[in-house]
Amino acid sequence: MPEDMNINAVRDSFTESLAGASTLQELDEIRVKFTGKKGTLTQLLRSLGKLPPEKRKEIGQSLNTLRDEIENELDLAGRRIRDSENEKQEISERIDVTLPQKGRISGAFHPVLQTMHELADIMQGLGYSVASGPEVEEDYYNFECLNVPPWHPARDMQDTFYFPDGKLLRTHTSPVQIRSMLQYGAPLRIVCPGKVYRRDNDTTHSPMFTQMEGLLVDKNVSFSMMKGTMSEMLNAFFGKSLRYRFRASYFPFTEPSMELDMECVECSGHDAHCRVCHGTGWLEVAGMGMVHPNVIRAGKIDPDEYNGFAFGIGLDRMAMLKYGIGDLRLFFDGNISYFMSGFGGAEKC
Amino acid sequence: MLISWELLKNFIDIEPLNLTPEELAERLTFSGSEVEGITYCAGKMKSVIAAKIASLETHSADSKYSIAHLDTGAGIHVCITSAHNMKAGDMVFYAGEGAILPGGMELGARDFHGVMSYGMMLSAEELGLHDVDDPSGLLILPNDARPGDKAESLYHIGDVILDVSITPNRGDLLSHLGMAREIKGLYPKSTLKFPEWMRPLKQDKEWSEDFGKISLPDKGCYAYRLGLATGAKIADSPLTAKVDLAHLGMRPINNAVDVTNYVMLMLGQPLHAFDLNTLPAREITVRAAHDGEHMMTLDGKDRALTERDMLITSGGEAIALAGVMGGEQTGINPDTTTIVIESASFSPVRVGHTSRRLGINSEAAFRFARTVDPALSKSALMAASALMCEWCGADVSYKPLSAENEIHSPKAVTLTRKKLSTYLSWDNMNDAAKILEGFGITQLKGGDDEREFMPPTSRPDITIEEDLIEEIGRFRGYNETEERLPGEMPRRADIGQSMRLSAFVRNTLMARGYTEVLTYSFLPEDFPEKLRLPPDDIRAKPLTLANPISREQTAMRTTLLPGLLAGMKTAIASGWREPVRIFEQGRVFIREGDSHIEPEHVAGLIFNGMDIRSPSGNRNEDFYTVKADIESLITARGYNPVFVPGHETFTHAGQTADILVDGAKIGFAARLKPAIEQELDVVGVYVFELDMTSIAESRKPEFSPASSFPASFRDISIMAANDRRNDDIMTDIRESVNEAGNDDIQLDGLRLFDVYAGKGIPDGFRSMAYSMSYRSRVKTLTVDEVETLHNGVREAMKRKGYVIR
Repeated sequence: MPEDMNINAVRDSFTESLAGASTLQELDEIRVKFTGKKGTLTQLLRSLGKLPPEKRKEIGQSLNTLRDEIENELDLAGRRIRDSENEKQEISERIDVTLPQKGRISGAFHPVLQTMHELADIMQGLGYSVASGPEVEEDYYNFECLNVPPWHPARDMQDTFYFPDGKLLRTHTSPVQIRSMLQYGAPLRIVCPGKVYRRDNDTTHSPMFTQMEGLLVDKNVSFSMMKGTMSEMLNAFFGKSLRYRFRASYFPFTEPSMELDMECVECSGHDAHCRVCHGTGWLEVAGMGMVHPNVIRAGKIDPDEYNGFAFGIGLDRMAMLKYGIGDLRLFFDGNISYFMSGFGGAEKC
Repeated sequence: MLISWELLKNFIDIEPLNLTPEELAERLTFSGSEVEGITYCAGKMKSVIAAKIASLETHSADSKYSIAHLDTGAGIHVCITSAHNMKAGDMVFYAGEGAILPGGMELGARDFHGVMSYGMMLSAEELGLHDVDDPSGLLILPNDARPGDKAESLYHIGDVILDVSITPNRGDLLSHLGMAREIKGLYPKSTLKFPEWMRPLKQDKEWSEDFGKISLPDKGCYAYRLGLATGAKIADSPLTAKVDLAHLGMRPINNAVDVTNYVMLMLGQPLHAFDLNTLPAREITVRAAHDGEHMMTLDGKDRALTERDMLITSGGEAIALAGVMGGEQTGINPDTTTIVIESASFSPVRVGHTSRRLGINSEAAFRFARTVDPALSKSALMAASALMCEWCGADVSYKPLSAENEIHSPKAVTLTRKKLSTYLSWDNMNDAAKILEGFGITQLKGGDDEREFMPPTSRPDITIEEDLIEEIGRFRGYNETEERLPGEMPRRADIGQSMRLSAFVRNTLMARGYTEVLTYSFLPEDFPEKLRLPPDDIRAKPLTLANPISREQTAMRTTLLPGLLAGMKTAIASGWREPVRIFEQGRVFIREGDSHIEPEHVAGLIFNGMDIRSPSGNRNEDFYTVKADIESLITARGYNPVFVPGHETFTHAGQTADILVDGAKIGFAARLKPAIEQELDVVGVYVFELDMTSIAESRKPEFSPASSFPASFRDISIMAANDRRNDDIMTDIRESVNEAGNDDIQLDGLRLFDVYAGKGIPDGFRSMAYSMSYRSRVKTLTVDEVETLHNGVREAMKRKGYVIR
């Protein structure tokens, strides 16, 4: 059967041509040679009419199958060649991914402000709102309302910056206690993070530093509650359960008053040469107490009905402890090289 | 307050308690009086003993040395000294070969011109006793010492001193008596006792000298008493007393003055001793000073007084600023024989005012301002008299002269079970009463739920129930109390607008590459000049401190910019060559009439860095990259910032924009003035500062659905004069779309995509190319519709004077 032979010859010839093709252009040429208008296969299909009708159907089917085969193989080969050509192109476009980034990368936070925001968030979770007050404050709010009249020796505890008109830079965030009580009344839960100022400048004192005041006024407030609140706040901030101890102390605006020591976050008391706690195992972190009735009264709240607790915590100290920073004064000189150093120095070796 | 372990034993039996100084220190610290240090006065001292100079001869080879043979009770030792104040038979302290001095020095043997000397004989200084004796001579001991006695067992030389920090409410603890009472309270098993010299004295003789009246017209003097001592012999105090004073930080002067200081340290009552004959008149009046009156105090300073100050006068002449400091004339001199001892009680308020105003923090003022037990003035005077007799050999049997005003006596304070249990979660009223009794607070009325207590005169700090609770609390300690959280949560805890805004700003700017800084609120006084601010600028008149620490920290900032510039400078100075992108949020302080406001500002600074090279081309921060940061800040709050050409005295004249929100200026963005850049030795610093007040409240964005019909894009390229600003051209394009008018079609987007000047464009002009998108909300636009409109826009733009390219 010459037709059958022809079909096989075409297939063989196609297979041979395809094997030799390596570019899309060669594929095109093969396509024209076999399935183009004058292509070998097309010729055979055209010659079908000359066959006797009983053969026509069988041969026609074989030819169509061959055409489908050829087109399929051409498509496959085409895709294969395109892929390999792309791949070659991609390899020629290879870059050094270790070259530096273009444009900016993200900046860094200030440890004290980060501390401030974290603590405010933690305290919001405990039901405290954030209150604020002026930094240039009146003597009345900074001292007198807090049970510290002008003659009182407790004023020696806080060396104060004054303005010629008698106003002062607040020496603590405590004036916000009074302002908040006057503004919101009782019951009340507030924290006030902010800058405070004292006339003090040496290696461990900066004339400006930061504090967070906390105040809770309600009925039947106990020392237990203050204790629970302090440990909840500090455990959340340091992300671990720490030990605490309280020492009796004195602040004119609280009675009784205490100071809080926290287990050394660096050594937990296991290192006699610890650079953070100097081997004592404890760190002084906050002053606090039950709000003095005179202060409640100055806030126009009835001390027979309400009482409360208040605390003041040094944010700089918290930041130093959390981030292992040794020198307070580094916080306030705006030197980017210092702060970026905590972030792997992405733009620095 | 320095407390001597030895002297404490005069007032309390500590031995049965079996306490170490460290244990006591811990108990004191936890109960409110922090012990800041414990000093073992003998230090490293070892084998220093008393020895008798058996014989003394001058060294034959060098006459400035003397050779002593010392009897130590266990043999004779040869020791050479260059001192001259000893003689044979004297008792001295001897540190032999191998002995160690308090400072740690070990002694050896040494050859002095052929004579071996073993160890040394000691001066007071070498024993660590400053000001006790002449440092160039040997310390000659009283005869009660025996050869071989250890130095640390004699004259309190081996004392232990506690440095206790006394809180301002506890004036009563500024004495050994007070500290003993505190320890008695803390250790209920201990017993108080009193030293010999506090035994009652028979003082009933009339004064041997004429003396007029003591008048106290000023009620601020509660009591004023004078004791008389005649036939006194001014000399050194006994060695033990001198050692005690030196350990307690006070310089021994002479026996009469030392008595007053000693009694003050022991009992807490400030005293003054003076020669009766130096008094201007034999009369004392304590009165308020007159406004504008002057007096010369002991320290040689002329003090201007007010009527709140109290003066002690004699014959109309001021002899002392009451409770604060003596005057120049009165005092004890070596020839004094007739001594008057003054013991008085003053109002803490008055003394506090005077000492704070004048900045005098004398021992007396420090104590009076913290309240001295008024009951002490009598007993301290008697004790001082007894010591005056013992140390100065004076006759003190005269009846003291006294005058008194009303003395405030303590008032009863009620303790309720309810408050006690609320505060301390503990309510054993019987135990509470025992604790209070320990501190000398006596129960007046008993009861199950309520008891009444009377504080002693030494504890004026106890006036309210909370004070009693504190005594109980600090006795029991706070560490055992259970921990819990307050009950019901308040409904809506709010971190507040200011914190929210601040969190947003820092998150935004940090993500955009800025580093957060915090700089001082005070600036150098001349910062307005440095910024070239004109006098009428509100930032040019900062609030300034009356008592700054330094000139660099004097004026309250009115702008955050100087802090950022200083930060950049510091970074560069520390070797930072990378880009500087910093921002700060914080308050500035602006005068407003007689008062001031404290608006929250945010300011940023961008500097390409000292080395701008990079493999992807030079770093290229400029005005427009900073503009993107500001747009990000403001648009995310729901506001639309508008940048218009602006002016600041400290910024680049051609690269400054005012930033408007809702038509009002909230800040600026600019390149720093090149002259200031040159001062800082940098090129290309971009800055911005915004008052965040008006955008603190985040505005809710309004959403509108996108059109479901496709947009058609057309470009328009315009030639415009250089002074024609992009914002104006865009406004003209929008207007032109309105003029070309087609209600169905909106200008959906308008974007500048090219700015070109140079070849083909005349000088003074630039070509600006915009991409426009037209869209309808109701239908798909046909090409014809879009072409017709766009041509209309081109025509309208031509009519506005633009050349369309």
